[in-house]
Amino acid sequence: MLSDVSLTVAEGDVTALVGPSGGGKSTLLRCLNGLDGFESGEVTIAGHRLLAGSHSPDVLEALRQDVGMVFQQFNLFPHMTAIENVSLSPRVVKRLPAGEARSQAMRLLERVGLGSFADARPATLSGGQQQRVAIARALAMKPRVMLFDEPTSALDPAMAAEVLDVILDLARAGQTMMIVTHDHLFARRAAANVVELVGGRVTAVSKKTPPGTGVPGGAH
Amino acid sequence: MAAVWLCGLASVVPAAELAEVLACRELVWAADQEGGGPHVFPDPKNPEQVKGFEVDLAAMLALEISRASGGRSVHSRMQQGQWDRLPLLVGRVADCVLNGIELTPERQRDYHCSRPYFAYGLQLLSRRDGPLVSLEKFTSPGPTGRWKVGVLTGSAAESFMRNRIDFQIDVIGYDGTIDCMEQVTSGVLDATVLDDCIASFYADRFVHLRAVGRPFAGGFYTILTARDTPHLSAAIDVALGRMIAGGGLEELYDRWDLAGRQQILLLRDATEIPPAQQRSLLELAHDSLPLLMASAGMTVLLSFAAMPLAIAIGLSLAIGRLYGPLALRPFMAGYVELLRGTPLMLQLYAIFFLLPKIGLALPALVAAIAGLALNYSAYESEIYRAGLKAVPGGQFEAALSLGMTKWQALRHVIVPQAVRIVMPPVTNDFIALFKDTSVCSVITVIELTKRYSVLALSTGRIMELAIVTALLYLAMSWPLSLLSHWFEHRLAQRGSPFGKA
Repeated sequence: MLSDVSLTVAEGDVTALVGPSGGGKSTLLRCLNGLDGFESGEVTIAGHRLLAGSHSPDVLEALRQDVGMVFQQFNLFPHMTAIENVSLSPRVVKRLPAGEARSQAMRLLERVGLGSFADARPATLSGGQQQRVAIARALAMKPRVMLFDEPTSALDPAMAAEVLDVILDLARAGQTMMIVTHDHLFARRAAANVVELVGGRVTAVSKKTPPGTGVPGGAH
Repeated sequence: MAAVWLCGLASVVPAAELAEVLACRELVWAADQEGGGPHVFPDPKNPEQVKGFEVDLAAMLALEISRASGGRSVHSRMQQGQWDRLPLLVGRVADCVLNGIELTPERQRDYHCSRPYFAYGLQLLSRRDGPLVSLEKFTSPGPTGRWKVGVLTGSAAESFMRNRIDFQIDVIGYDGTIDCMEQVTSGVLDATVLDDCIASFYADRFVHLRAVGRPFAGGFYTILTARDTPHLSAAIDVALGRMIAGGGLEELYDRWDLAGRQQILLLRDATEIPPAQQRSLLELAHDSLPLLMASAGMTVLLSFAAMPLAIAIGLSLAIGRLYGPLALRPFMAGYVELLRGTPLMLQLYAIFFLLPKIGLALPALVAAIAGLALNYSAYESEIYRAGLKAVPGGQFEAALSLGMTKWQALRHVIVPQAVRIVMPPVTNDFIALFKDTSVCSVITVIELTKRYSVLALSTGRIMELAIVTALLYLAMSWPLSLLSHWFEHRLAQRGSPFGKA
C-alpha cells in the first residue's frame, strides 16, 4: 500500500493530502492514530511515538487523547443525543464530572453552530449537521492534532460548505490539522501544505507559507 | 385378508373390541417400564425385553381369553407410555392398561375397571439412620422443619399423603418411584411412600433405606378398559376369575415372591367400591382455577428469573468470544455447543438428580431456574454474537479514536447498539422459554402444564381443562409479545445504528 513516505509537518499547520482514489491517503492518515498498522518506519505525532508492528493499547489510548479523528461516514453514536455524543469521551476517558462535561459540550456545539440541536438524535440531523457534531465530538478531547478522513465526500455541496466553514474556523484558530480530501479548491484555500499521494508514494509537496517554528511532528 | 384389513381398521376405530383382539391375535396392554419392578421393568440381562409380574400376567390373560373363545392363541404385546398418562392410551393405541393402576371411584367413573387382580398396601420408607420411626411422627415437624416426602404423581400414595392435612409434610410428586428412593438415599427427601410390593422388590438395591412401620391404607390394582368395549371387559373379568380359582394367579405371585396365598384370600373377599359423584362444570372451574392460577404464577416466576440470567450469561459469552482472551475462546465455544446440542430435559435431570451425588443438592426451584438459564444462555450468546458483529465497524473506530479503551467502547457504544439490534430474536426466545418451563415438571416443579395434566387425569375433564390452561398461557404470553413490540418501537425511535448519510 504505502511505501517510502516521509513527511514532516509543523505545529499549527494545516496539511491537505490529495491524490487519486486508492493512492494511500486514508491509509496514511489512519496510520497516524494507529487504526492501521505499518511494517517499517515510525510515526511521531503530538509527542507520541509509534513503532512498526503492533502497538500496545496503552500507547494508543494515550496517543488518541491528543489526536482526534473525523470520519467520512460521521460515525456518530445513534443511541445518544448530540450533546451526549460530544460529552461521552471527556466523561469516560478524562473522568470529567457530568455537569462540566455537559457545559463544555454545549460550548463546542454552539461553536459549530448547532447549540439548539443539543438534544437531537443523529437520525434526525442532516449529513452536514451530523458531521459538525462529529467535529465537536473530536474537539471535546482537546486534541493537539485533528485528522479528517474525507470529511465532505459523503455530503452534497451545500452541506459540504457548512462543514468546510467550520474547518476553516479551526484553521484560523491555529489547530494543527491533516485533511484527506478530493476537493482541490478547498485544499488550496484551507491548507498551508498540500501533499499529493499517488500509488502509495508522495509525488508532490507544495507549501503556501514558510514553515512555522515550533516543535515539528512528522511521519517518516 | 379380512383379518388384516380388520387389524388396520382396529387402529382407526376408537375402541378395539374383543372380536378385533381375537382377529389380530394380539392383546395390547399399556404400561410404563420406567415404573420399575416388580410390575414392569427392562430385563437386566436383555434390556430390549421387559420383565415383571404384570408381563407374565398379561401373557396369562391373553392365553385365557383365547382359550375361552376357542379360537387360535392370542399373544400379549406391551405398549409403552408414561405412568400418569396411561389411561389416555386406552382405546387408542392399547386395549387395556395393566400397570399397578389403583381402583378408585374416579377411575370407575371414566373407565371400565376389571375385578381386582392384586392387593397393595402403602409403605413408608426412610433412611436407616434417620429420625423417622413411625407414620405418626409426621404430625410434628422434623429436625429441619417440615418433612419432605416423595410420592409417585397420580398414585394412591400421593392422594393419601396430600389428604392428611394434619401432617407437617411437603409432598413432592415424582415421575418414578425409583427417583423417590434415590432422593431419600441422597438426603434430598426425608421419606417416600409407595406400594409395599415395590419397596420389598428394591430392598436389596437401596440398602440405606428401611421400612418404617407396617403397610397402611392400600387397595387393589385393576385393569382398565374403555367403556365402549363391553365384550373385552367381560372377557378380561372372566379370565381373571379363572386364574384366581384355578390357582394360576397364586402360582404367578409365588414365583415373584408376592405372598400368593394372602393375595388370593384378599382378592376373593374384595368388596365393591361406591361409584364417584359427577361434578358440574361450574364446580370444576371453581375447584381447579385457583390451582391453575397458582401454577401459572410458578410459570411466570421461572421465566422471569431464568431469562435475565440467560441474557447476562449469553451477553458475557458473546463479548468474550469476540473480544476476550484467545485462549478461552475454544472453551466458550464448547460450552455453547454442549448446551445447545443436548436436550433441556437431560440438563435438568443432570442438575437435579446427578449433582446431589457429588454433594451439591439444589432445591427443585433453584435447579429449574439454573437449568433454564444455562440452556438458554447458549442460544442468547449466539444471538448477541451476531448482534455485536452487526454494529458497523466505524462505531468501534470512532470510539477508539476518542481515546476509549476496548472495554469502554464496548460498554458505552457497541453493546447498547447490539442489544437494540437483536431485541426481536431475544424476546422471541423469552416467549419460547415461557413455554419451555413446562419441561421443569420432570424435576418435580409443579408449573402450569403439570398441574393441568394431574388435574385432567384425576377429574377426567381433559378437554375443558385444556382450554382453560391454553387460555392462561395465552393470557401470559400475549402481553409479553406486546411488551416486546413496544420495546422495539421505543428503541427504534432512539435511532438505529444505520444513520443517514
